[in-house]
Amino acid sequence: MKINFPKIFFIILVSIIISLIYNHFNPNGLNLIRLEKKLSWETDSLSSFETKDSLFVDSTLSEIKKTIDTVVIDLKTETIQKVEAFKQPKAIKLDLAYKLFKQKILFIDARSPEEFAEGHIKDAINIPFYGSENYSKTISDLNKNETIVTYCSGSDCDIAQLSGEELFEMGFKRVYVFVGGYNEWTKNKYPISTKK
Amino acid sequence: MKNLLSNNYLLLIIRFSIGFVFIYAGVEKISNPNEFAISISNYRLFPVSVINLFAITLPWIEIVAGILLVFGIAVKENSTIIFSLLFVFTLAIVISLFRGLSIDCGCFGKGTQIGLMKLGENLLMLVGSFLLIVFGSDLQKLKLE
Repeated sequence: MKINFPKIFFIILVSIIISLIYNHFNPNGLNLIRLEKKLSWETDSLSSFETKDSLFVDSTLSEIKKTIDTVVIDLKTETIQKVEAFKQPKAIKLDLAYKLFKQKILFIDARSPEEFAEGHIKDAINIPFYGSENYSKTISDLNKNETIVTYCSGSDCDIAQLSGEELFEMGFKRVYVFVGGYNEWTKNKYPISTKK
Repeated sequence: MKNLLSNNYLLLIIRFSIGFVFIYAGVEKISNPNEFAISISNYRLFPVSVINLFAITLPWIEIVAGILLVFGIAVKENSTIIFSLLFVFTLAIVISLFRGLSIDCGCFGKGTQIGLMKLGENLLMLVGSFLLIVFGSDLQKLKLE
């Protein structure tokens, strides 16, 4: 059991040198020092959100009055595209999540299909983080301008955030991450469903 | 029992298996370094500032050690490196399981959650790499047999 420790040191040193060179030339390379990246909390009350939404509805309605149907559809699409995009997913707490729920915003359950079947936030859809590759059709059917909220079981799980970041990178412009998750939701006896 | 464990064919199989697993794991991590960095940070064991250094260097240590192991170069030394890495990974998984974290393992890029299954896999590889440290594995011995 004779181990040559200088050899170990040499192998590790060579690996580190290769890794630093590779990272330097890799377009997806990382900074050597990581800056803390935390989800920013959505601190604004939803009033701003509601105003934007009602403005959108009003303007759309007025357009309907003025123009013929086809033009309205074009304008609608244009207006939707103008919806303010986030710079990164935003974390939200229970109160805000419930407000969004009441506004019929789409909730995405990032847990496994088994956990989803046991119970989930009412009207949520299941896109499990582990295996999201199999849900590409579901994801592509969604409107990327639509606001979405991701969640998992609670603050101890990370897949709501990971899922939120993944969907944001896929082009979803307004992604909220509900940190309290399903546990906090059920604790407050908010509407749930066990339907698939 | 000692004869069985020091059997050169068994050691060869262990060497190839662990070598290829480490090459695969390293390549998966290199293909998406940011995802691996996020996985490390989810363990909440290290200061954020050092996470990228781990994410950059660890996969290459895995790949180099894995390749050298497959080719039978410095088997004992590379097995020691792999044993130490596995020991740290296993410890991290155990701590996270005790803390009740439900997080991505980060072992082969995205896709596996930490759990008892993962722990079992790591323990098996720990035993394998320990055998390689103790008995080594080189082709000359096989030829002599």
